[in-house]
Amino acid sequence: MVTSDHIDIKIDRKNVCRHLGYRNGIKPSLRISSLIKEYMGEAHNLIEPLYVYIIRDIEQVVGSNIYIEGSIVFNGEVIARLLDRCCKVALFVVTIGKYLEEMANRLAEDGLILQSYVLDAIGSDAVEKLADFVKGILDDKARVEGLVTSRRFSPGYCDWDISQQEMVFTALEGDSIGVQLTEGYLMVPQKSISGIIGISTPDSGAKNYNPCETCRKYDCLGRR
Amino acid sequence: MGEDIIAAMKENVIQGRKTEEDEGIDEELTGPGVLELTKEALDKGISPQVIITEGLTAGMQVVGEKFSTKEYFIPDMLASAEAVGAAMDVLKPHLEASNVETKGKFAIATVQGDIHDIGKNIVSILLKGAGYEVHDLGIDVPTEKIVEFVREEKPQYLGLSALLTTTMVVMGNVIKALEESGLRDKVKVLIGGAAVSDEYASEIGADAYCVDGFDAVKVLDAYQ
Repeated sequence: MVTSDHIDIKIDRKNVCRHLGYRNGIKPSLRISSLIKEYMGEAHNLIEPLYVYIIRDIEQVVGSNIYIEGSIVFNGEVIARLLDRCCKVALFVVTIGKYLEEMANRLAEDGLILQSYVLDAIGSDAVEKLADFVKGILDDKARVEGLVTSRRFSPGYCDWDISQQEMVFTALEGDSIGVQLTEGYLMVPQKSISGIIGISTPDSGAKNYNPCETCRKYDCLGRR
Repeated sequence: MGEDIIAAMKENVIQGRKTEEDEGIDEELTGPGVLELTKEALDKGISPQVIITEGLTAGMQVVGEKFSTKEYFIPDMLASAEAVGAAMDVLKPHLEASNVETKGKFAIATVQGDIHDIGKNIVSILLKGAGYEVHDLGIDVPTEKIVEFVREEKPQYLGLSALLTTTMVVMGNVIKALEESGLRDKVKVLIGGAAVSDEYASEIGADAYCVDGFDAVKVLDAYQ
């Protein structure tokens, strides 16, 4: 399912500041604040939110291999532990399009690194918001059937090899929303998120499954 | 009079005010920014070397200290670096005219397979501000192209950037290719990126790992 309906993405200033590196409640200086405000206003014209997702039955989980309806096979212990508790899985790709990063690149080329960095941070929050929006759609769909959804998981995180992006993209026709994979399985536009969300009965433990709780990689950028 | 201009320049670097229109960290500070002060200093016959060492570099040193004590965050540092970068562009023809040599030629690239450029851009602007001649080769740069640049342009320093565990291995390939081309001892190789470390630098035979842009300046200055 591909959708390009108008989606109102509400960029969160606090999250933008977090992406910019501000921590412990420290607020940006006046100059940086006004720059964030200015670019948050401009960003809406540079964002073209698009998403695609499918929902498939999980056939079986054997060890770290997950067999999904439609000859989709994933491998990874962390997602196997999640999907073993689920009856279905949603595969998704979302993107805010290429315009924001084209603008950020142009600014960087002109030596306006600060402006470029601020715009990039806004893009990071925007694409996260879009992924949350898709999770919201899946939540609603699951609820109708008395089911719940899990957190999002993406190839390249934990032990889920990034090369399995290819499986996600083949199943979804990710390029239908203009997202391409590089040889190293990175997405272009970069402000895109791909992954899975498990769907299960409320008592399965999938909803709150968080592998970070038992992981010792404390410096991980994806820690939650 | 000249001392006043240089002192104002240093203060405006610390405040991240490139032009008179920019707000600083301190809201009270108005008047000419780094760019205007640089032009004024040149008009008054102050030598580019004095402008750089006592104004720009001295200011950036304070910024570096504030960054390391977490008083400043990345955006604050970028505002300062951007101001210094713009001043260096104004000074460049004057430096060339008076045959002042830069601190050295530094080439930087995000290695093949990786498309992340923010870290590379930050390092570039800080080194440029510290008086190095920076050649940014871009992102996803093929190993052969990096080797060719080292052979043809003879930079004394090479910075390699990669964000991911899947692409950091390419840094090792670049070093091997430099060895095979008989160029390894002609250039100091510095590496940086979220996934790399001191240990990884020794493992692949790089000369140094730099934790951030200020560290890169420190490491290169130590080679002087």
